[in-house]
Amino acid sequence: MLRPAPVIYYLLPFPVLLLSLFIGPGGGVAPADVLQALGHKLALSTLPTDSTLDMAAEVLFNIRLPRICLDFLVGGALAASGTALQAMVRNPLVSPDILGLSSGAAFGAALALTVGWLPLQPSAFFFGLLAAALSYLLAVNRRGLSIVSLVLAGIIIGGMFTALLTIVQIVNDPFKLQTIVHWTMGNLHNASWQRVRSAFLPITTGAAVLFAMRWRMNVLALGDEETRAVGLNPEREKLLLLIPATLAASAAVAVAGIIGMVGLVVPHMVRMLVGPDNTRTLPVSFVFGGTFLVLVDDLARAITTFEVPVGIFTTLIGGPFFIYLLKKSGAGFGETS
Amino acid sequence: MGLSVENLGFAYAGKTVLQDICFNAPLGKLTVLLGRNGCGKSTLLKVIAGILPLQTGCVLAAGQAIKALSGSERARLIGYLPQFHQTVFPFLVEDVVLTGRAAYVRATPSHRDIEMSRQAMETVGVEHLAGRPYTELSGGERQMVMVARVLAQNPQVILLDEPTAHLDLGNQQQLMRVLKLIVARGTTILAVLHDPNMAFLNADKIIFLNSGRITDPPENCCPWDPSFIESIYGISTVVLPYHDKAVIVPTS
Repeated sequence: MLRPAPVIYYLLPFPVLLLSLFIGPGGGVAPADVLQALGHKLALSTLPTDSTLDMAAEVLFNIRLPRICLDFLVGGALAASGTALQAMVRNPLVSPDILGLSSGAAFGAALALTVGWLPLQPSAFFFGLLAAALSYLLAVNRRGLSIVSLVLAGIIIGGMFTALLTIVQIVNDPFKLQTIVHWTMGNLHNASWQRVRSAFLPITTGAAVLFAMRWRMNVLALGDEETRAVGLNPEREKLLLLIPATLAASAAVAVAGIIGMVGLVVPHMVRMLVGPDNTRTLPVSFVFGGTFLVLVDDLARAITTFEVPVGIFTTLIGGPFFIYLLKKSGAGFGETS
Repeated sequence: MGLSVENLGFAYAGKTVLQDICFNAPLGKLTVLLGRNGCGKSTLLKVIAGILPLQTGCVLAAGQAIKALSGSERARLIGYLPQFHQTVFPFLVEDVVLTGRAAYVRATPSHRDIEMSRQAMETVGVEHLAGRPYTELSGGERQMVMVARVLAQNPQVILLDEPTAHLDLGNQQQLMRVLKLIVARGTTILAVLHDPNMAFLNADKIIFLNSGRITDPPENCCPWDPSFIESIYGISTVVLPYHDKAVIVPTS
């Protein structure tokens, strides 16, 4: 009862983050240079610097490190958001992308990039929230929430926002178009400290609110009447989950595009490890989601000579996983809650 | 003080479901609500519990009007056990019981909350299930766990909707024993039951609901009086006395 998750789960990311500093496309910077540059930065090494080392430091601190930070924030945001949405609809088969939230946020972000006068993060948040709320309201009826309706509603709403996104792409000039297309595929190769700064506040705020709600998620996951019977208002609690979950996930989409399935796969893996109690699942999901995306992005950088958008990888991993979950248990499909 | 209901009325989609409901469930007693399917028993319980809005009338729990209370204030006075219950996530029994403490919890439960839910599990006799996933329990075990959840809430009035549905005879008796234990400690219970005999044998007080209205047996008449039972359930019965009580058997 309320045992925190073992500390090892929270320590796990550090070696991954550190190792990721050494990974980059094709032999640009040798591991030895990475070590030296690190040494200099931490004022451990007194060896004189030279141009190779300056280059290594530049790659390390202005390309790789912000990318790793962004991976971690984005993965953590998507996984924590997925955990919260699953508690909210009482079904483990939803995630920001399945609810159409990601498509909405992507449209909002693309719109902001195109028109120029719209602020990026608020626009992504607004349309992400609009999409998620529309899917939810379409699927809910007096008897409760059917997960089949919810997934269908998510497909429809997501499809509509994807169509709107395509319109935005068409009206753009070819140069901008390529940027937007690359970005919607879920891409982190444009990571910069500026993007980390842009995503940091909304993601940490959303995650902090979700963290404060972590036990209430357990209450809500048992049912509307069961929640009301113990004195909480389920509609209010759902909003208190939906808004921060959307804030975190749409901020992630705004800086990294649509990175599918992280919000679905990671909470599942975490539940297998620490059980369904959200007081443990939520924080561990954030940490594992971040680490997962750092790892997958390492793969995306290292496997081929050109960069495959990381969103392609996560979807290729997550798709079969989703099918497996469906086949294994039905996972509550067809049941109303 | 117990629970008292005055002039309660409820309409749903323009149709009157409950009308002029007045009764009281005495402090520290087991009061049972009987009536045919669809007569409004569950609706009445939900209105009292605050699951459905109180449209007209007044509900006093332990002397306080529930209309004026916030959700968590109400939940500290009145506990409610819904009829059907399922969850997709395999929460452990102890975590399910702990959710009964929501009205007392800010962010996460304190040691006191954990202690209260442990005591509730002991009272109901489900402490041996504490570490098992709720989804793997039998229907009877789940019902007992949900009773423990209501107890952990520590309310002065407990409302139970068909607590013995889906339970075998042994489990029904065990539940009745637990309910008697709870009322003996000064808690007021109002339970909807579908089996009149279980009410006759166990209840301290019986209230009949017929088409959304309270119907009392005629004066100097027992609740198991055949003509009264026929007016409620529409069947003829014979009465079999049992100690100072009685059970009824339908005749063909």
